Amino acid sequence: MSKKKLCTPLSTFMRTSLTSPSDRFTKISSSQIKFSTFASPSPPPLALYNPTFHKLGQYFLGDLGFCGKSICSKAAEKLELRCWNCHSVPESLPFLFCESCRSIQPVDKSVNYFDIFGSEKKYDIEDKNLEGKYKEWQKKLHPDLVHSKSKMERDFAAEQSSRVIDAYRTLKKPLLRAIYLLKLEGVEVDEEQTVSDPELLAEIMEIREAVEEADGSEALKRILSQMQDKLKHLSDSFDNAFQSRSFEEAKTTIQRMTYYERVIEEVVKKL
Amino acid sequence: MAEPAYTVASDSETTGEEKSSSTFPEIAIGVDIGTSQCSVAVWNGSQVELLKNTRNQKMMKSYVTFKDDIPSGGISSLLSHDHEMLSGSTIFNMKRLIGRVDTDPVVHASKNLPFLVQTLDIGVRPFIAALVNNVWRSTTPEEVLAIFLVELRAMAEAQLKRPIRNVVLTIPVSFSRFQLTRIERACAMAGLRVLRLMPEPTAIALLYGQQQQQTSHENMGSGSEKIALIFNMGAGYADVAVTATAGGVSQIKALAGNTIGGEDLLQNMMRYLLPESESLFESHGVKEIESMALLRVATQDAIRKLSSETSVQVDVDLGNGLKICKVVGRNEFEQVNRKVFEKCESLIIQCLQDAKVEVEDVNDVIIVGGCSFIPKVKNIVSSIFKGKQLYEGMNPLEAAVRGAAVEGAVASGISDPFGNLDLLTIQATPLAIGIQADGKSFVPVIPRNTTIPARKDLVFTTIHDNQREALIIVYEGEGDKVEENHLLGYFKIMGIPAAPKGVPEINVCMDIDAGNVLRVLAGVVMPGSRQPANRVMEVRMPTVDDGHGWCAEALHRAYGSTLDMVTVQKKA
Ligand SMILES: [Zn+2]
Repeated sequence: MSKKKLCTPLSTFMRTSLTSPSDRFTKISSSQIKFSTFASPSPPPLALYNPTFHKLGQYFLGDLGFCGKSICSKAAEKLELRCWNCHSVPESLPFLFCESCRSIQPVDKSVNYFDIFGSEKKYDIEDKNLEGKYKEWQKKLHPDLVHSKSKMERDFAAEQSSRVIDAYRTLKKPLLRAIYLLKLEGVEVDEEQTVSDPELLAEIMEIREAVEEADGSEALKRILSQMQDKLKHLSDSFDNAFQSRSFEEAKTTIQRMTYYERVIEEVVKKL
Repeated sequence: MAEPAYTVASDSETTGEEKSSSTFPEIAIGVDIGTSQCSVAVWNGSQVELLKNTRNQKMMKSYVTFKDDIPSGGISSLLSHDHEMLSGSTIFNMKRLIGRVDTDPVVHASKNLPFLVQTLDIGVRPFIAALVNNVWRSTTPEEVLAIFLVELRAMAEAQLKRPIRNVVLTIPVSFSRFQLTRIERACAMAGLRVLRLMPEPTAIALLYGQQQQQTSHENMGSGSEKIALIFNMGAGYADVAVTATAGGVSQIKALAGNTIGGEDLLQNMMRYLLPESESLFESHGVKEIESMALLRVATQDAIRKLSSETSVQVDVDLGNGLKICKVVGRNEFEQVNRKVFEKCESLIIQCLQDAKVEVEDVNDVIIVGGCSFIPKVKNIVSSIFKGKQLYEGMNPLEAAVRGAAVEGAVASGISDPFGNLDLLTIQATPLAIGIQADGKSFVPVIPRNTTIPARKDLVFTTIHDNQREALIIVYEGEGDKVEENHLLGYFKIMGIPAAPKGVPEINVCMDIDAGNVLRVLAGVVMPGSRQPANRVMEVRMPTVDDGHGWCAEALHRAYGSTLDMVTVQKKA
């Protein structure tokens, strides 16, 4: 049984002063960005994109988001995306921050993590300077920098900034990035689900024993580099599976990666 | 509690000031209250300036002397010699005592100070008293700190010729959230508003970020990312941070800290020179206090000298027929304090690991604080970093307060035409925050070194069939067992629907907002339902009033394991 889907995260119920004012804006802007940046034929339910905001949002906005629906209905309306403060049209996308009046925009859930980092929606983004981009955003969005602004804008800052943190954290780690990519395709991965591959399980058991018996850091380092090789290999398989849109295969690869990741964590702990 | 009445500025006053601040912002001052020394600095419009007291000192001793009815602190006081500070009427080391309970080993280590630290060992706040007219008069660390801050504020106001309300204070990494509330309380008592409490090494990281920004401007470079390790060891605490800075933005990658410092080196050395010192001085009689003071001063001098010399002659007459006449070598000093130095080493290594940074990736190694002059400390750092040249360009004693002053300016919304305040530090949580579950285990919900703001959920479940209530006991720290951590608060979830054990999902969500405020939310969801089964509880932490260690004990006695929870099983 998949525990994860049953567990409703509590942040769902969390009071936030944000939700009410920002909704108004989000609804207007979401349709626009949607059409300007997405090429994919059938976008997945947007509320699933971001763990934090989906949890917050789903309760107030209804599950699975307004986007799937509102996009269709509003498609013809062609609402224009403008700054809430000075009404300028954004110079560039994604529109998190207005360059003309330097005000922070409300969170637009249709902007995904890859959009935030100006990256293509793909697995292999190692060459991207994520940290640099992350810092660039924080310098514009971080709540510490907007003390003198209105309560509303400080809330936008808090939400945008923490969303950029989530995005950075997710894209930086291959495993989280992989899970997120599948989520964008509407495929939920349950990391906790056990793999019913006796060979893998036996192998993991063996490695675990080796880790436990390992004497000295040399032996542990050897195991570590073996694990990293395996992970690299799996990582490539995921990329291939994802590119050929074999999502089921991609999903099992992720579950396998989880096992190796955990062993690596254990080794690092012991080192 | 018998604390003196204090006034907290009313809300209307605050808003009034905020309004005026938009046109002419008040620059917050940076304050570094060390265990032994204190300093104040402010952004003067173009750079950081350290404030001096009337005796032209930038570094002032952190203490308060109680005499008759007028206490006076180290900012203004004219103690001519260390001995006067050690007469029993002066309280110092308050940074080591604040917000701790009487079962804390750090409090126990303070029992051989000249003033009175009494413990009942039941997990309540220790009894602290100063000798006034031959009477032990009780006080609290908060009160002592507040008196000190009042003096400090007056000094700053006289220097800057304007009222001071806002401060940025540096704090040790290992301070619990409960201890932070005690610091805030002392500030409120002194009429100060805390704009930010900055872990010391992160203040230094900010200063480093500013320096990097300035050099990259000078070189017209794009300013590539630089990683620095900061090791800061003062009299009371040792802290480490790994920071990655680029374009004025510093991301704190990891923090580590511990209550070890010059005070421990000193006490270990005193014990070495006079093994029976603790029992000799326990009675705190007039003669004993005198001897203790003499020994303390002599040991302090010896340690100071050992930084430049390889051996030192200790020659002191403690009275009562006690004489110490001994040559102490630097190697002896290092041997006596082996454990302290080992801890320093492991803190640095742990911090590097947490930051996932290899020794080779570190661009700059910064060591600051009063203990940075000790050769052994330099050697430890040097050997971890394979002989790498240490970063120069930071005054080891002023770095933290300078960083705090820069933050004071940034947080007050001051801008600088040269971009010198175009800075941001993205903080991380120094300690894990979690709850008691799986017996007496501490289960972190927000792990340490999580970027702030942060929000995390974890799911727990009941351990008994038809368990209708569950206790959420929130702790902060690094220990696997709850009793090794700091208690932040507790509350009960009620109205769990009757169900077999393991079925109800008890959701615990922790949220730290940009202002570093922690909220804990808890609610129950039954499988298959999308609605919580009861009203979600939201509790702002910490709720504990006085760090009462016995609260947890009492809860355990009252409820046993009847209201316990377990984590929802992860796969092996
Ligand atoms: Zn604008």
